[in-house]
Amino acid sequence: MTRPLASGRPRHAALTLIAAAAIALSGCSAATGGGTGGGAAGGSEITVAGTYAIDSLDPGSPTGGSATGTQLASQAIFSRLVRPRPDGSLEGDLATAWKPDASATQWTFTLRQGVKFSDGKPLTADDVVASFKRLLELKSTNAANFAGYTMTATSPAEVVLKAAKPDAAVPYKLAIFYVLPRSLTGEDPAFFQHPVGSGPFKVEKFDPSGTLVLVPNPDHYGGAPRLGRVTIRKMPELAARMTALRTGEVDLIWGIPDDQLAELQRDSKLTVGTVPSTAVFTMWFNSSAPALKEAKVRRALWQAVDFATIIKRLYPQSGTLADAPVSPVTLGYVPQEPVRYDPAAAKAALKAAGFDFSAKLRLQFANAEFRPFNQAIVSDLQKIGVQVDLLEKEQAVFTKDLLALNWDINFQQLSNPTFDAANTLGRLYPCAAKRNGYCNPELDKLLAAAGASANPDERVKLYGEASKIIWQDAVGMFPMAVKYAYAWNRRVTGVTPDPNGLPNFAGMQVSGS
Amino acid sequence: MIRVIAKRLLVGVLVMWGAASLIFLIVRVAPGDPTTILLGPDANREQVTELTAKLGLDRPVFTQYLSYLADVARLQFGDSYRFDRPAMSEVFERLPATVDLMLASSLIAVALGLVLGLLAGGRPGGAVDRMVTAGTIALQSFPTFWVGIMLILIFALAFRLLPSAGAGSPAHLILPAITLALPFTAIVARLTRTSVAETMREPYIQTARSKGLTEQQVLLGHALRNSLIPVVTIVGLHMAGLMGGAVVVENVFAWPGLGTLVVEAVSNRDYAVVQAATFLIAGIVMLFNLVADLLYSQLDPRIKLDGAA
Repeated sequence: MTRPLASGRPRHAALTLIAAAAIALSGCSAATGGGTGGGAAGGSEITVAGTYAIDSLDPGSPTGGSATGTQLASQAIFSRLVRPRPDGSLEGDLATAWKPDASATQWTFTLRQGVKFSDGKPLTADDVVASFKRLLELKSTNAANFAGYTMTATSPAEVVLKAAKPDAAVPYKLAIFYVLPRSLTGEDPAFFQHPVGSGPFKVEKFDPSGTLVLVPNPDHYGGAPRLGRVTIRKMPELAARMTALRTGEVDLIWGIPDDQLAELQRDSKLTVGTVPSTAVFTMWFNSSAPALKEAKVRRALWQAVDFATIIKRLYPQSGTLADAPVSPVTLGYVPQEPVRYDPAAAKAALKAAGFDFSAKLRLQFANAEFRPFNQAIVSDLQKIGVQVDLLEKEQAVFTKDLLALNWDINFQQLSNPTFDAANTLGRLYPCAAKRNGYCNPELDKLLAAAGASANPDERVKLYGEASKIIWQDAVGMFPMAVKYAYAWNRRVTGVTPDPNGLPNFAGMQVSGS
Repeated sequence: MIRVIAKRLLVGVLVMWGAASLIFLIVRVAPGDPTTILLGPDANREQVTELTAKLGLDRPVFTQYLSYLADVARLQFGDSYRFDRPAMSEVFERLPATVDLMLASSLIAVALGLVLGLLAGGRPGGAVDRMVTAGTIALQSFPTFWVGIMLILIFALAFRLLPSAGAGSPAHLILPAITLALPFTAIVARLTRTSVAETMREPYIQTARSKGLTEQQVLLGHALRNSLIPVVTIVGLHMAGLMGGAVVVENVFAWPGLGTLVVEAVSNRDYAVVQAATFLIAGIVMLFNLVADLLYSQLDPRIKLDGAA
């Protein structure tokens, strides 16, 4: 085949193609998301990289309000009546005091005076009431905590929340309730592009695809934060987050796996800290499955896994052997008798119970980060002849199967943004919850009493008794209390690692700025 | 030519209908549903029922499909379940970042691939040819994800020359563009090498040499022009492949483009965004193929497109 010598026309076409590409490239249109643009933030600015997206700034959104990213942003932009301290206790934010009546059905909150929104307008009791009504009307997941509750303003400085039944956990539940201007009704995406709040920061720029830029709110009742700007960037890849921290492009990261901590600890420019979190590795047994109906079978399976060794090897810095279904920073934590690793006794107990060793148990989990942990469990169970299918599922499939009880053992890292056992024990373990196939009327009574008592000491005692039943009946295995790891540039001071993975930027500053 | 374009566009409409229908089916066949993802495991049945109705997912699938087709005909894809705003707006906001990435990587791949291909094809079997061949095989073999991480470690962490991730300045574009370009570079280089080597054996090259032209003049002035023909085709056809690579690269470098949006939308079962993005990507790929075909016929006048007068 012969080809003619190329004419000028094709040459022109090829050059045009290249030129067009070059022109388009030179116009390289500001792919959004970079925030401060060229890398490390200077002066009193910091850049942080979260593991999750901030899709919405609306804490009342029916679809994303309770998402971790939204909560992180909300606590910087808006105020709450009360907020949790890192040790799990509560402190007043907009409320200066709160108290229940004798039956814990009516809670009175005294409001801080002189608080202003970032647009200069005063924050009043009417704003608090309107925000609560909006929360209920939008029917967000958080709204389900307040079904049948009403809030009224009894004076400009006081609001009263009436519960449908005695509820001692009200203040803790309100830790994720944010106050917005009363003029806001329904869903209003435009408002949340540049929201008005009374938190320590204001929104300078919000791009749901990746970046939230915060600047100090000079009208904040506690005084403006010392940081000049906080840029929150979404960086889903761990390697990218860690590299950005080490190059100085990012000042603070969290959600760091244990096996990566040593590398960061060797870097003299960084500080690494861990904090006991509200999270507990929770491995429910499906008690409605025929093979797992008996508590002695479930306990034997727990006894067959050497969790102490697994944790020591996989989570030497960020895990400790759990001794309760809830973490030590949660109200209602009462330590239980440890389950001793004894594979021989476990096998004997399973044989005595007539356990079918030829059947396969389905262990489901959702995040690749937990694969080694679950593989180690499967390995230990196999040593005593228990067959397990390890099923790593996509989040959408995992959640659907979780609710449908389409599993035998379910792995989850359960955290608790309210720091109150009512949100975990009280919500997930009653018969009506139908979350793990376990039903015990005695447990239901204890949980109901714990949720209704206005006396904190009594609540802890009752949750302790409930924990004992959950623990001894092995509703699940509770192998590990989780510590969250944070790493930050030494130039940033005032970093307090948060037990829920929601760092508070208001107390941070850049040294020398 | 106009007839050809009109005919191709007509076929394109059918292709787009097929793509829209296929993606509608795929997202609904996939296990898991949007409501449990959006509301999380803490939602009660009433909330799930309400959201299902709000999203229109309680209707029969065929009814949903007809309604969807009617929307597609008006280029409406509904609101993103996750962002609560028009899905196509979300897609268009992310598109420029991906276009930047694809153009930059295409430019790098074509420029570098042509040079390497010319060097190798100019002297087939020579040392340069062997090096280029081995190098291009390696470039195609390395996983994009790994290459991205390596480039970050070398250029961002070790030498501190470039930002490791994010966007906002031309410097942010360099590492992701190179990562995405490398496998494509290998394809262009190997194709150019083969094409140049073949062209260099043609009689008209001997004629050019006999006129006293230097080897460089022969290579650049005669061989290159004809060797460009298959390269132009492959650039057009490879756009779909680049889009696939962009998904990985955007995640590694936290590049806020369409790739990450689609991955997140699939994970979150955000049907509206998946449908809008896929429709747009299908349209772009179809358009690139059409442009490549037209360019091909322009570069090689012997090639007549089907339907051309």
